[in-house]
Amino acid sequence: MIDSFKDILTAAKQGGLKKAVVPFPGREDIEVLSRAAALGIVSPILIGNEKSLKTFIGKTDLWSYPHEVLDEKDRKKALNRAIALMREGKGDILMQGGLTQRALMGAVLDKESGMKKARVVSYASVFQLLKREKLILVTDTFLNNNPGLVEKQAVLENALHLDRLLGVESPKVAVLAAVEQVNPGIPSTLDAAILSKMAERRQFGKALVEGPLDIDCALSQAAAGRKGVQSVVTGNVDIYLVPEVDTGYLLAEALVFFGKMPAVGVVLGTTKPVVLALPFISDENRVVEIALASLTCRKGGDNG
Amino acid sequence: MIKSLADFSRIAREKGPKKLAVLAPEDEEFMKAVKISWEVGYIEPVLIGNEEKMERVAERVGFDIGKFRKIPGVDQQAISDLGVGMLFSGELSIVSKGQIPTSYVYRSIIRQEAKAGSGMTVSVVTFWEIPGVDHLVAFTDTGVNIKPDLKAKREIINNAVFVYHLMGYPRPKVAVLSGQREVGGVLPSYRDFLALKKSAASGDFGECEVVDATSFTGILLGGGVRMKDYSAVRLEEIPHILVVPCLDTGNIICKLDFFLDVTRSSLVATSRGPVCVPARSDFSENIVQQIAMCVVLADRMEKGA
Repeated sequence: MIDSFKDILTAAKQGGLKKAVVPFPGREDIEVLSRAAALGIVSPILIGNEKSLKTFIGKTDLWSYPHEVLDEKDRKKALNRAIALMREGKGDILMQGGLTQRALMGAVLDKESGMKKARVVSYASVFQLLKREKLILVTDTFLNNNPGLVEKQAVLENALHLDRLLGVESPKVAVLAAVEQVNPGIPSTLDAAILSKMAERRQFGKALVEGPLDIDCALSQAAAGRKGVQSVVTGNVDIYLVPEVDTGYLLAEALVFFGKMPAVGVVLGTTKPVVLALPFISDENRVVEIALASLTCRKGGDNG
Repeated sequence: MIKSLADFSRIAREKGPKKLAVLAPEDEEFMKAVKISWEVGYIEPVLIGNEEKMERVAERVGFDIGKFRKIPGVDQQAISDLGVGMLFSGELSIVSKGQIPTSYVYRSIIRQEAKAGSGMTVSVVTFWEIPGVDHLVAFTDTGVNIKPDLKAKREIINNAVFVYHLMGYPRPKVAVLSGQREVGGVLPSYRDFLALKKSAASGDFGECEVVDATSFTGILLGGGVRMKDYSAVRLEEIPHILVVPCLDTGNIICKLDFFLDVTRSSLVATSRGPVCVPARSDFSENIVQQIAMCVVLADRMEKGA
């Protein structure tokens, strides 16, 4: 069972070196990769201007660890080359590097030449609780703007896949909404109720899915009790499924900024893990993020 | 200028007691909150609800309610209509929800505002007291409007700015929140931000400033900056008012106090006075705090501050 960021790093180290393909990395990327390489997690394949990359690398410890530099001065060509390496099986993890998220995800989601595997590609943020050893997932916090029921089902499946890789056999899922009652005027409560019913019929395997749950019921068994909600999920949630991205993105940020909670994230539903550079992930946790990605390709064989 | 929940409590002791109707205090936590609020001099309660149930919980929390006015009621909507009606007729200063669904209270307020012809949209303002921040931060609307359109968001901002003016902030800062990222195209919440920013610049909301950032990252890290470590976070930059994109977002984030080191307190500012709307899961200490806040705002509304 992987309960903490420390566990993620330990498990990733045990899994051996993975090839991280990074188009147009910046200085910060190289520093983070240097630390991940020192831990024995990755050997980076850096694509960009060979001369300047080698200069950067020489200023970090990465020069003394296994890595490759591929010369490519054009950003678009660097991206295409990165995707090609991933598709050819020469890379295990794709990182955003110095490209825009729009460019990277555009290439990843390309129907012909991309890396989409599951029905829906989604993003999960993983947080480490501060008061006890436990990881929680919040999804989708970045990619899907306004998922309908079908998409939410797929987003949940992706997250369950990740949680099971982390050793949670029967993940407890809170499908969040504004209120805990099913209210026909609030569409998120209807989706939540349906997903909960689907889980009851074992459509998500051993997962325990409760919804709709408002956040107080999800977080506190006592609060749930006062609202008449009796469930093993309340107060001990593994996965929080959010209604849409306004909520997801802002919630993830709120947990980091107001809760000081360590956070990482990963793209799910792709043939191999993809790591984006979200601005609220600290450098220290970007190393954990690479470790998490490496873990998913080790254990799952794929990422969706 | 009111900077903390403690400020509200202190001023409430000075300005109380105010007459407050409690809608169905039929749960121990609510009754305990009424008891404490009366004991510290915030309120003089009028209890509306099932008399037998109210007597039972009052006895359980050691509160002699014999001396207070009690109005019998069983139907939850009728209880709510009665209490809110008393606020609008000027018979009392504040209404507080007890253990009944908040939607009944909102319905009563909407009806009364329509009857009064105030044109006021009903919205909930939820304050957070955040350690290290020198002002209270309010999320809005966290309770009523499921998917507010631009027009509703304008009114939601007006209501919150009105509350901050009452609190003594001449020009509160407002952030219109959105999950806008580099991917996914332009979100409706971001389009609303662009329009509201223009409205604010034209003075549509009175004295306030709509900030440029729409995410916590943009607000707390500044534009285009990545967080190397937590020391980069400028928590004190958080604006006074945070307009949430929709009810789901507002409710989910504002109740993170169950998880984070923040204290939450909510109210509805109607045209005739504040309505206290604690969550049904709130505990007495939190409810007392929310009552104190309403006492102060009721006082300032009465004085036309």
